[in-house]
Amino acid sequence: MVESSQPCVPGLFAADGGARVLGSRCTACGTPYFPKAASCHNPKCPGSKMEPCEFGGRGKVWSYSVADFPPPPPHKHDKPFKPYAIAVVDLDSGLRLVGQMVDPPSAMSVGAAVELVVDTLYHEEGKAFTTWKFKLA
Amino acid sequence: MQDVAVLGVGLHRFGKTGDDVVGNKSVTELCRHAVDKALEDAGVSWRQIEAVAAASSRFSGGKGWGLNGNDVVEDIGSTGIPVFNMSAGCAAGGNAFNVGYSLVAGGMYDLVLVVGGEVMPKGMIQTSGVEEATDPEFLRQRCIGFPGPSFWATLARRRMHDYGTTEEQFASVTVKARKCSVGNPYARFQKEITLADVLASPYVSNPLRLFEICPVSNGAAAAVICSKRKAREFTKKPVWVASSAVATLTFEDSLPRGLAGPVPSGPSFHTEVKGAVTRAFERAGIGPKDVSFTELQDNTCYYELAFPEEWGLCEPGESERLVAAGETTPTGRMPINPSGGFVSFGEATTAMGVFQIAEVTWQLRGQSGARQVPGAKVGLAQTNGLGGNATAAILKR
Repeated sequence: MVESSQPCVPGLFAADGGARVLGSRCTACGTPYFPKAASCHNPKCPGSKMEPCEFGGRGKVWSYSVADFPPPPPHKHDKPFKPYAIAVVDLDSGLRLVGQMVDPPSAMSVGAAVELVVDTLYHEEGKAFTTWKFKLA
Repeated sequence: MQDVAVLGVGLHRFGKTGDDVVGNKSVTELCRHAVDKALEDAGVSWRQIEAVAAASSRFSGGKGWGLNGNDVVEDIGSTGIPVFNMSAGCAAGGNAFNVGYSLVAGGMYDLVLVVGGEVMPKGMIQTSGVEEATDPEFLRQRCIGFPGPSFWATLARRRMHDYGTTEEQFASVTVKARKCSVGNPYARFQKEITLADVLASPYVSNPLRLFEICPVSNGAAAAVICSKRKAREFTKKPVWVASSAVATLTFEDSLPRGLAGPVPSGPSFHTEVKGAVTRAFERAGIGPKDVSFTELQDNTCYYELAFPEEWGLCEPGESERLVAAGETTPTGRMPINPSGGFVSFGEATTAMGVFQIAEVTWQLRGQSGARQVPGAKVGLAQTNGLGGNATAAILKR
């Protein structure tokens, strides 16, 4: 039986046809945003022109940390809690994105190449709830 | 603009719910103690206070815990004076001080009380109180699970990469901080700790350990500030506010504040903090080299290394050497957190910016006992808080 899954928050990311987060980009100055921004935050931007933009693919770890203890609500996790790494990744597409790692903390290093994936964050009422994560490439 | 003086300061010692220090006291009780001490120190009666600037943690749409300045005024005596409740995360105390300062400097009032206090919920601070997909903090905690300690750990890890900082060097900052707290009657922790003790404490967020991250505490702080004219009525030797500044982060900021941002063109850390400190220096006409000592927001030992470099108190990458040489102790060349800092006090969120004003005032009066910075003339105080808020104040004698 295939486990039924759904995003932990709808509308933020997609898995079909390759993992990607659903953001926006200002076509006037090129600034990327995730989540989508209603207007450009760059005070030097000549004129805010926002278009939907998806970000996925590969990037490099700028830095990372480990959640050695479970974060407080509204975070949700399976029990027993398993420490996980959190990476800050500079995607080749120009977005610096934060996300959990699929790989264990011991496998991490600054500068490591990673790729965006969609993976289970926690289970509730027999369903898997997913989020975007990174995997060592 | 008129000159502003700090006339009196007071603290309630910091502690943990249920201990012998704060027991089960309410935030109003803690604040009453701090306010009474500050009024006594200033030689001012409650009825002379013309306005209150309170650091408030009652975020809109948020939690039911925290300080509201109106409760303090009602408790001490409903004189009908205006109360300004300032909310700026962990920067709220510094923000309240700035508002109090601005009210006096701008000539609106001559005698103002600044107060902050907290009875903290246990454990890691819950930064989002609502389950609402439009709240970026909710998204960050639900979709990733990225609590405060992990934000700091990410920066600490990057520093290890950039400068080769070791876990022992991080731990040595805590050892120094706790040494400062010995004999500070207001600190929650007043005992020395060894490098081995720190390194034996568990990781909260690797590479940062339990003793390298400030816990949450209960405590309160108050300051009575006044105009130059008023100060002359009460004292011959007031402590002066050379400047007070507030800033928020800029577009260039490169740190992972939310879910994502543009890949930055270069390192641009803590732009809100740099903005506030730079403005405080400019307005005071005082430079980093003129500072006798600094009370900065050390939520973790990482900040005692990073902040002095970011503000020009020392060169980038130099902090580890200065710590090892004892230069950040009260008798060193660049004293940092002679009080013992957040790592020794624990964080009672809204009290912190005001607690710093109290410590800086005592230092400038030469009343800090074993932790006294010899001949302290100029003190810098700094806070920063969730949402990209920061404050800086420079006091001088």
